[in-house]
Amino acid sequence: MKRLTLIFLTALAAFASEVHAEDAAPRFVAVDVVLISDAPVAAWQFEFGGSSDAVRIVGVEQGESKAFGDAPYYDREAIRLGTADRIVVADYSTADSSYLPRGAVRIATLHLMITGHSNEAIDITLVTAVDADGERIEASISATPQTGSES
Amino acid sequence: MTKRLTIFASIIALTMAGCAADMAADPSTGGAGSQSAEPQLPESVSLPPPPPAQSSTSEYGGFADIGGDGDGEIIVTGARIGDDNNEHPNDRHANRRQDYHDREKLAEEEEARRAAISAELDGRETERQRRRSEILGLDTQQRLLSENLYRDSLAKNMASGSIGHSLPALASDEELWIISQPADASADLRDAAGPGTGSLIVETPSRDRNRPPEIVPLPLKHTAVNATIDGYISSVDVRQQFHNPFDTKIEAKYLFPLPEKSAISGFTMIIGDRKIRGILREKEEAEAIYDAARAQGYRASLLVQHRPNIFEQKVANIEPGKQIDVEIRYFHTLKYEDGWYSFVFPTVVGPRYNPPGHADPIVPAAQGRSAASSAATTVEYLRPGQRSGHDISIAVDIEAGVSIEEIEATHPIETVSVTQSGAVVMLADEDVIPNQDFVLRFQVAGEQMKSNLLTYVDPETEQGYFTMMLHPPAGTVDLERQPMEMVFVIDASGSMRGTPLDQAKDAIRAALDQLQPYDTFQIIRFSDNASQFGNAPVPASPANIALAKQYLQGVNSSGGTRMVEGVAAALQFPHDPARLRFVSFMTDGYIGNEFEILGAISQHIGDSRIFSFGIGSSTNRFLLERMAVAGRGAAAFLGPMDSGYDLMSAFFNRISHPALRDVAVDWGSMAVSDVYPSNLPDVFVGRPVIVTGKFLGPAGNVTIKGRSGTQVATIEIEPAADERARPMLAKIWARQRIADLVDLRAMGGYTNDPYFEVMIRTTALTHQLVSDYTSFVAVDASEQTAGTYGVTVPQAVPVPAGVRYDTTVPE
Repeated sequence: MKRLTLIFLTALAAFASEVHAEDAAPRFVAVDVVLISDAPVAAWQFEFGGSSDAVRIVGVEQGESKAFGDAPYYDREAIRLGTADRIVVADYSTADSSYLPRGAVRIATLHLMITGHSNEAIDITLVTAVDADGERIEASISATPQTGSES
Repeated sequence: MTKRLTIFASIIALTMAGCAADMAADPSTGGAGSQSAEPQLPESVSLPPPPPAQSSTSEYGGFADIGGDGDGEIIVTGARIGDDNNEHPNDRHANRRQDYHDREKLAEEEEARRAAISAELDGRETERQRRRSEILGLDTQQRLLSENLYRDSLAKNMASGSIGHSLPALASDEELWIISQPADASADLRDAAGPGTGSLIVETPSRDRNRPPEIVPLPLKHTAVNATIDGYISSVDVRQQFHNPFDTKIEAKYLFPLPEKSAISGFTMIIGDRKIRGILREKEEAEAIYDAARAQGYRASLLVQHRPNIFEQKVANIEPGKQIDVEIRYFHTLKYEDGWYSFVFPTVVGPRYNPPGHADPIVPAAQGRSAASSAATTVEYLRPGQRSGHDISIAVDIEAGVSIEEIEATHPIETVSVTQSGAVVMLADEDVIPNQDFVLRFQVAGEQMKSNLLTYVDPETEQGYFTMMLHPPAGTVDLERQPMEMVFVIDASGSMRGTPLDQAKDAIRAALDQLQPYDTFQIIRFSDNASQFGNAPVPASPANIALAKQYLQGVNSSGGTRMVEGVAAALQFPHDPARLRFVSFMTDGYIGNEFEILGAISQHIGDSRIFSFGIGSSTNRFLLERMAVAGRGAAAFLGPMDSGYDLMSAFFNRISHPALRDVAVDWGSMAVSDVYPSNLPDVFVGRPVIVTGKFLGPAGNVTIKGRSGTQVATIEIEPAADERARPMLAKIWARQRIADLVDLRAMGGYTNDPYFEVMIRTTALTHQLVSDYTSFVAVDASEQTAGTYGVTVPQAVPVPAGVRYDTTVPE
């Protein structure tokens, strides 16, 4: 189990001393989640968590592989007003191995809304990845905010 | 392949039980589940080191602004998935159903609970206000700016004559039955969302019937419905395609109906090839997120419930010429009557009558004339001679589990394929105007359907859920009929004019013809007020029946739908204990104060049974069904082409011979809780009752006992033999629980009791369902569209087939 922590530095940091928190419009940012594996990936699962309730997940988009055609599914660990979001995102494919993605592949894009001025972090933890036979495979995960998506 | 599916399903289902139904995964198959319940990777597996910050191995660039110490730190941690410490309030209240009905006995506990809830609500409200003020901060300025721009634009356009004159005053037609008018009909800004350019304004249509229909440019282009039926459980995907036919950016807004038992659990926004799954959140937060995204130019969508069968879809920032689709998934149970299953897909919200002072009206308005009041939910209707480009396609894949003998529908259908127990049918191309309910019925084999019990156990929580279809035992058809006190309540409001009123009269005539001299009857008509045939129920003598038919002849339709008056008149007179009192309501149900009606029924029901007849092409099925539940009776529906006389004849025969009364259940080895409906109704031949609940322990035989005439009848029900997993049973149970809580709150007068809100909210969040307090929101944060969010365009819809526009929609 490995956890990746990503911190969003607020674009308004330079003005923080001059701007009251209640004046800040929420920011939206899309984060690409990339799975890196030498073996073809048939199913995967990661956990997403925000550092505080200032980070809200507002959408989960499918990745780039056509073997995973639909938006991934999620199960709420916690999505409740006043608590930090924490969800499990997962997907699987029944496609033949030859159609399954390998290498570095974007498996999902998380759409987030961030409020306030403070730097906010998200954790993304790879829970598991398996191959077409259902065997666990070596894999790692990374996350990258899309350039220019943050307002 | 089988092995792979099994492993995948186990891996995903164990941590994703909440959405297992959506994934079509089968969590019960295979024993591999226990392996993946533990999220820790095996020690023998070592993960490669993470790519360093700013040097990702992926093609998506490096890590940006990586955390605290800036080095993209990866930490090996213990897992928290599967952690069961977060005990849900739902479980704490699992066995409180009985409490609803005996609140006095629980006064002490109630007081403590209320204090806790109050504290929780106070804290959450404070938090909510803080968050809303944050989220809406700059948005407000932008909105005001847009409003000013819009007002300027409107003034210029009006000065140039491009959009006509001031909005018309409301008609003073005396037959107009909508009396809850907008506070200021001349203001049509709709949250800075009125038409902003001439291209969005539709000129007054031609009323010339010889001219082809005028096509009104509107955002909703197509609705595609794909349903799968497994026995009596249906899974339905509804894809709404919104496009922008205008030359400016728009927000589309669409009020639409779904079956009242729909458990909506899936929501995806689709932009081209991209699919963004929406997130279920508490309603206020979902709305705030949507508003913020809309204000900043992000594409977003929001699904909000206004009634258990009426929903509103909003889609923001649709650019000119572009399209955004929204796909909704829901589950529901089919109705079974006399050997026929019915799949219903409603297509249009009928115009509602709102009594004066009603707090949450659904207001009808002519196309382009939405009410100004932000508190009102408005349905815009196309005028006669107008059409939108919106059409609908429906495909239903049936697997009945038993042989299908016949299929019929309210619309022309094409049968694509047929097997012994299955079929795929589609709505024929030539009939795609969504102005009446689509009802598909299929008859299954067997003279006597057997009761059955479907179960599902969540592999993660070991919580069981069941759905039971309870048929009366064989041999109860010829029961001796007991004396009846029959009360007919006929809706004579303006919306019933024409065919619906004629059908209602025919239905009453049919029942009158079947009454016996030892029965008594009464007829009550209501619109703005109520009047009745006799001062008290009269004997069903030939002379009285003849007089009653004359009375019916003189009943005309006009005015509003003050159904509360009808309910009071029907239930508030002394009951003859020697007779079974049956109250039969005949109405289209086009009212906005449904819960007030249900509350009145609950208050006055006593020993009466209510049988509701929905009449019309797009009946308010929610109201009719819930009236029947509240009255421990049954509901039936008459389409525009149905014979009221024939339907009532068959129905009357059923209701006058209840096969099983005072029903009680012995659950055997199952530790059952939270059973809905909480008050089991009488069971009639050919009209089974669907019961749903939770259980712990092994699924086993269930014994039903009830009075059948003077005898005690017993039914043994075994769990279904097949081992198919049915995770949707949990959602169906949750939906019924919410419906029961809503009913109870309305019927018990607990409107302001926070207990119900907390319970409904918690149930909906736990089971990922849309409710009064939970909504789906999806935002595409990857790209901002240019400019402000444009104007809001409500999707105008046709009035339901058979409903007169001029008597129901204010101009």
